[in-house]
Parts: sequence; C-alpha cells; structure tokens
Amino acid sequence: MLAELGNILIAGIKFGAIYALAALGLVVIHKATKTVNFAHGAFAMLGAFGSFLIVVHWQGPYWLAYLLVPILIGIIAALIEFLILRPLRRADMFTVVIATVFLGIALGEAFRLIYNTELLAVPGMFVGAPFVVSRVFVTKETLWVIAGALVTALACVMLFHHGKIGRGMRAMASNVRGAQLCGYSVDRVYMFAWFLGGALAGLTGVFVAPITGVSVELSIAVITAGFVAGVIGGFDSLRGAILGGLLLGVVESLAAAYVSSAMKNCVSFILLFFVLMWRPEGLFPERVARRV
Amino acid sequence: MSDKRFGFAGLGPTVFILICLVAGLALDSYPKYVLAITIISMVIGVALVVLVGLGRCITLASGSVMAIGAYAATLSMVHLGVPYAAALLLAILAGAAAGWLIALPGTRFRGHNLAMVTLVFQSVCIILIREAKWLTGGAEGIRVPPPSIMGWRIASDSDFLIVIGVLSALIVLLMTILVRGPFGKNLQAAAGNEVAAETFGVSVPGYLTAAFVVSSAAIAFAGALAAPRIRILDPDSFGVLPSISMLAYPIVGGMYSVWGGLLGGGGLRVLPEFLRPVADYQELFFAGLVIVVVMFFPGGLVELLRRGSALVFVRDAKRGSAPIPAAAASPIAAAAEADASQVLLRVEGVDKHFDALHAVNSANLMVPVAGIHGLIGPNGAGKTSLFNIISGFLEADQGRIEFGGTSLLNLRARDRIRLGITRTFQHVAVFGQLSCLDNVIIGRGRNAVFHSMQQSFEYFIDGPGAVAARREALVALQAVGLVDQAHSLAAALSLGDQRRLEIARAIISEPKLILLDEPVSGVSESEVEGLRQLLLRINAERNIAMLVVEHNIPFVAKLCRTMSVMGAGRIVAEGRPAEVIAMPAVRQLYFGEESAA
Repeated sequence: MLAELGNILIAGIKFGAIYALAALGLVVIHKATKTVNFAHGAFAMLGAFGSFLIVVHWQGPYWLAYLLVPILIGIIAALIEFLILRPLRRADMFTVVIATVFLGIALGEAFRLIYNTELLAVPGMFVGAPFVVSRVFVTKETLWVIAGALVTALACVMLFHHGKIGRGMRAMASNVRGAQLCGYSVDRVYMFAWFLGGALAGLTGVFVAPITGVSVELSIAVITAGFVAGVIGGFDSLRGAILGGLLLGVVESLAAAYVSSAMKNCVSFILLFFVLMWRPEGLFPERVARRV
Repeated sequence: MSDKRFGFAGLGPTVFILICLVAGLALDSYPKYVLAITIISMVIGVALVVLVGLGRCITLASGSVMAIGAYAATLSMVHLGVPYAAALLLAILAGAAAGWLIALPGTRFRGHNLAMVTLVFQSVCIILIREAKWLTGGAEGIRVPPPSIMGWRIASDSDFLIVIGVLSALIVLLMTILVRGPFGKNLQAAAGNEVAAETFGVSVPGYLTAAFVVSSAAIAFAGALAAPRIRILDPDSFGVLPSISMLAYPIVGGMYSVWGGLLGGGGLRVLPEFLRPVADYQELFFAGLVIVVVMFFPGGLVELLRRGSALVFVRDAKRGSAPIPAAAASPIAAAAEADASQVLLRVEGVDKHFDALHAVNSANLMVPVAGIHGLIGPNGAGKTSLFNIISGFLEADQGRIEFGGTSLLNLRARDRIRLGITRTFQHVAVFGQLSCLDNVIIGRGRNAVFHSMQQSFEYFIDGPGAVAARREALVALQAVGLVDQAHSLAAALSLGDQRRLEIARAIISEPKLILLDEPVSGVSESEVEGLRQLLLRINAERNIAMLVVEHNIPFVAKLCRTMSVMGAGRIVAEGRPAEVIAMPAVRQLYFGEESAA
C-alpha cells in the first residue's frame, strides 16, 4: 500500500517538476510583459522536436540537446516578440491573446509540415534498471528529470530576484513608466523575458520528450498544465509557479491512480475553476512586504 | 438616414443564405454537400460575432458546444426515438445550458483566464463524450439516424441543403435582429466600458451571460443541423483545433457585424475546397491569416470591403444630417418654474473610512431643485469619495443621503437612473465602438436583458418605439450640438465632443439631477467656456439640477449658484461662489494664507 503510494507520488513529482518548468516560463513572460503566451505549449513542442532531431535524427549526444534546444527556442521566442508582439504592444489583451493562440497553431502546423507524422518517439537520457527502495521504483531518468527541472527552475528564480536583468524585469512588472525613467529599455527587457520564457519552454520540451514523444497534442497539454500550475501559484509568483506545478502533478497522479485515468484530465479543470473562483490571487501568492 | 434603414439592410444576411441555397440546388452532389456545411459555418461565424465580437469574450470551447448540440440531437433520436424537429429543439436547449455553464466563470474573467477556462471546458467535454461509451459510442463514434420532418424523409443532397439552408437563414435572422437592435448595442457597451454600462442599467454579467447563452444555443443548433450530414459523429472531430479555427471566423470576417461572421465562417470553410493542391499548408495559412488580420486589419474583411467601396462610391458626406421634427426640437420642459427653495438632494453626516484614513468626515451637502452646486477642494480632500458615495460606487460607513425624499443608501449605481439621477465621468466613458446616436439611446435606461431583446424586434421593423427613441436621441444630441455627428463612432470624437456626448447621454432620460465628475478636465481652454454655457442652458431649459466636482475653480465659480469646499474630509465652507472664495478658511486651504492679519 505504502509502496504503491510512494510510486504514485514519485510519478506525480516527476510530472510536477516538468509542469513547474512550463509554468515558470509562462509566468516569467507574463510578469515582465503582462502577456500570457498561449504559444508556450508550441514552444515546448518545438523543444521536444529539437531534442528528437539532435538525439534521434542526427544521433548526437543527449547533453547537446539540453544545451542547444533552450537557446534555440529562446531565440525563436525573442524573434516572435520582435516581429509580432512588439507591433501589438498598444493593443488590448483580447487581441494579444488571440494573436498568441493562433501563433501556437501556426508553430504546431509548421512542425506537422516539416515532419509529416503523428508521433515521434524520443528515448530517455538514461537507461538501466531502476533502484528499488522498499518496493518503490526510481529510475535514473526520473531522478534526472526531477532534479534537473527543479534545479533549473530555482536557478531561474535566483536570476529573476537577484540578477541585474531580473531587476529590470521586476521593475517593468511593477511599473513600466517608472522602469523606463530609470533607464531600463522596454524593448530589451521584453525581448529578454521572451528569450528566457522561450528557453524554459524549450527545456520543458527536452525533459518531456521521452515521456510523451513529440506530437501536436503536446502543445495543448503543456499550455494547459503550465497555465493551471501558474494560476494555482498566483501567476505573478515564480516560486508559486514551481509549487503549483508540483501540486498539480501530484494531485493528477493521485487522481489517476485512485479515481480513474479519465479523471486525471479533469483534475486540472477542477483546480483551475476553484482557484480562479475562490482564490484568484493563487494558493502561493508572492508575499507583498507591507511597511507602515 | 432614412427611417426605413433597419428593415432592408437587416434582411441582407438572411437573404444571402437563401440565395446560396437556391443557387446551390443547381450544383452537383459534392458541391451541394460543401455548400450545406459552409452555410453551417456561417451560422457559427454569426454566433461568434455575438460572443467574441460584441461581447469581447474569447472562447475556445466552440467545438465542444457544437458537439453538445450534435450529440444532444443524435442521442435523443437514437435512445429516445425523438423526431428530428424535436431533437433540434433539444439541441438548442442543451447549447443554451452549456453556454450558461461556461458563463458562470466566463462573466468573471476576461482575456487569458477566460480563454483558458473555455479551453479546459472544451477538453473535459470531449473526454467525457469519449469515456461515456455506453451512451455516445465513445471514440469509434455513433451513427446518426436518417432524419425526417413531418413524414418527409431527408435523404438527398438537395433535401439536406434545403433543410440546412432554410433553418440556418431563420436562425441568422434571429441573431441579426439581436445584433442590430438594442441587445447588440448594449452588449457592446457592456464589453466596452463596464462602469458606464452599469450606470445606465446595462448589467455586465447579465449581458455577457446572455451572449454566452445565445451564441452557444446557435452553435449547438448548427451542430445538430450538421449531424445527419456528417452521418457518423465522433468526439475528435469537435476537438480543440476545430474550436480554434472557429474562433478565426469572426476575426477574419469582421467582429462587429453579422456580415463579418457570415463572410468569415463561409469563407474560411469553403476556401480549403479551392486550396486542394496545397491542402497541407491550409492550417498554417489560416493561422498566419488570423495573425496578419489581428496585426494589420483589426476590422477584418468587412472593414476592408467597406473601405474599398468607400473609395469607389464617394458617399454623400452629409448623410448624417437627419431632419429633426420641429416640435421635438424645442426644449421639452419649460414646465412649472422650479421652486429653488425645495431640496432635491440632501446629504447628512456621511462618513467614510479607508483603514486609518478618514476620507469623508460627517459631510453635509444640499442641492436645491434645479440648482447648480459645486464641490471643490484640494487633492485628497475627499471630494471624489463623497461624489462616489452619492453616485453609488462607494458605500458610506454612516450618514443619510436622500433624493426627493428617497434614501439612496442601499441602491446600486444602476438603480439611480430610475429615480432621475445620471452622471458623467472624470475619464470620459463613452462607448467607443457605438455611434453617438446609439450611445445616447443607451442613456434612456430601461436596459434589462430581456427587455432589450424584445426591443430588438421592435427596432428591426422600425416600430414606433424605435422611431421615438431615435428622435429623443437626436433631440439630446441637438441640445449639445452634436447632431451632425449622430452616426460617427464615439471613439472618433475629440475629447471635448466626447464630454458633450456624455452630457447628451445623461440628459436624454430627463433626469432631475446630473452628477458631473470633473466635466472640463483635459478639455481645451476654448471648449471650457462652451461647455459652461451648454450646462447653463440645459439647466435653464430643462430644470435639471447639477452637482459638479471640479478642479477648475474659475469654471465652477462662474457655473454654480452655490458651492461647498472640502478639506481633509470635512466641508469647510459653503455658500455663494464669490463669498466662499473670499473666506479665509478657503484661502488658507488652497494657498496656505494666514487669516487676514
């Protein structure tokens, strides 16, 4: 019984770590630029596709995928910011959401055209028998995904909160005018936020590829999970996004095991609905320092 | 503008579908099939104009709503043996229910949250249909029984085309009536400026819920019409990607008119038939098309065509100068001379705290019948808080506010219009996407959802109610000097003219009191004097009392007969403008002058 629960929790944390990474990318872009990037899932799908190209198609080493893909997807994201989002900067949220939704579709379709298949399989980075600790199975791959995703996520939080460029993004987030007056360039900060968000999405794709393979459906799955995890975390809190991702992964895993596998997909709906209706500030909102 | 403007133009979309139907009867079997499906897409496009265009709600759930309609009809035919006509009605009900369900969260969120909620609704619906194998046949699908209406078996391509065409024309007619009438205008107002809409009795949640219900019912109906044509229903043909494609219909076609939905839906559905050789690139092309439209042609195809035709046919520039009936042009009430000694609005001992800040401190205020009373004070004095308490946007902690003997304390902002109180806004709050005429018509009040739906029918046939409303609106526009702009979009006016438009909207309901929130802020020096004279004239001709909050003291002093000065939450002075301004307490407040020593 307990071992079963252990296995379920570990599977949940593995997915949760990936969701956290997806959510983090969305939140970074939203926090700095006030845009919710509905093409985020498509970025992750392109990342998974990049991983397939490097590892399977060109038989390259796996570490190269982890290194190159985030940078490439980051550059694509920054380019998209430049070409599409920048001209729309004065438009309202309605227009921007529509633009990113269809951008996601366009990217997915571009992938479908390049590689005319439904599903591409990608092997894991590690093979070999799992460790067994009192009937709880843990593979090296699982450990790698959990550790890798969480470490990257935390590093990102550090960068955002302590790095120089992070300060620019936080300044933009709280007051665009004020940040401009202090000498931060909107264009540069926005572009970097998109680069960082895109890189995180690309990395999400590399981590998730061995589990789900590469397909157009992946993009919807990633955007849904990332968005829900972000909302749970408060959408403007980076730490909240990580916690939200982990929570979503674990709850989904539990629901799949103890209720039904169809239920797994409804969990995100129920969580999203309840959090939005009753705690729109999220379960883990950023602490706002109040000094009197 | 001819008085019959509504009648014929409004029938256009319906007639267009009927022409498609008749012309289509001459086609071969496959084109007939394509045409039938295209007409269904037109219905969906028009339905999405209501929700996405007028209501500005992004929905990614259209596929699931269509599935709900298709399955509701099919399952009731298969499992309950219901005849097709009844099954169609059931589909409409199921769609309306689904729309209401989505609206529960849908009216609380906008933008990305709404998009996400609808996306998840879509996903869950399709999962449920796939999982409930015993009912729906699951992923393998379910065969739709051949339909018949009153003993007529619908079997041939022509039969289908006729049924789909006629019923679609009917539903598009209904939606056209709603879109072009007060319902559509009020919905646009609700989506465009919530605060102003609520002030004039347009309930924002009410209208958005109605938009979800109406559009979902129509989409579900379209699904039920399509079901027998598709023959085998399976959940995956109503997935997320079709939903997103449907969202493209109103955007590409043009979001603000029935024609936009019609052209967008029809065009995007039929285009792939001509793009066969490059079928692979279709989806990419569509997604790119939407992005291009959003970036460069926000008005969509309809706007492009309109601009194109404006180049070809040079319109009569004076189109808007409608003759105003002579009798009505004169001021409505030179009624019994107002008794200025009578109190219209009485504010007594009103208190308001924000945490530690005592924003309003037992304030008293009085506006006489047909009087003009000013409220001034330095920044942070509590004027705006007091004003918002009177207008119903803030609740007082304690105190009494009486208007002609009725207490205003527990009334919502939108209930005040019935008592005869209207207002203007510090940051102009006109409905930019509506014409000046329609802006002013909304000011008449009586904007409850069902009432506006009924009214829409009256407007469609240009009944006496519609004519009267338009005439009243023109008179109000005349009074503020905007009658030439009656048909211009409010967003296109200058700031000063937008302020005039707000005044027209505030006086059309013949109120007893107008609350003017900084009526000249941001207005050019030359227009300030014009607005002052306008307000004085309205006050004199219509006996409307005014309460003015304003920073421009010379303006207030010349406009008002009495005024109050606030400082640190208290009323520090009261009286005639000249006397008040001379008071030491007031000079102290503004200039920090020591009392005349």
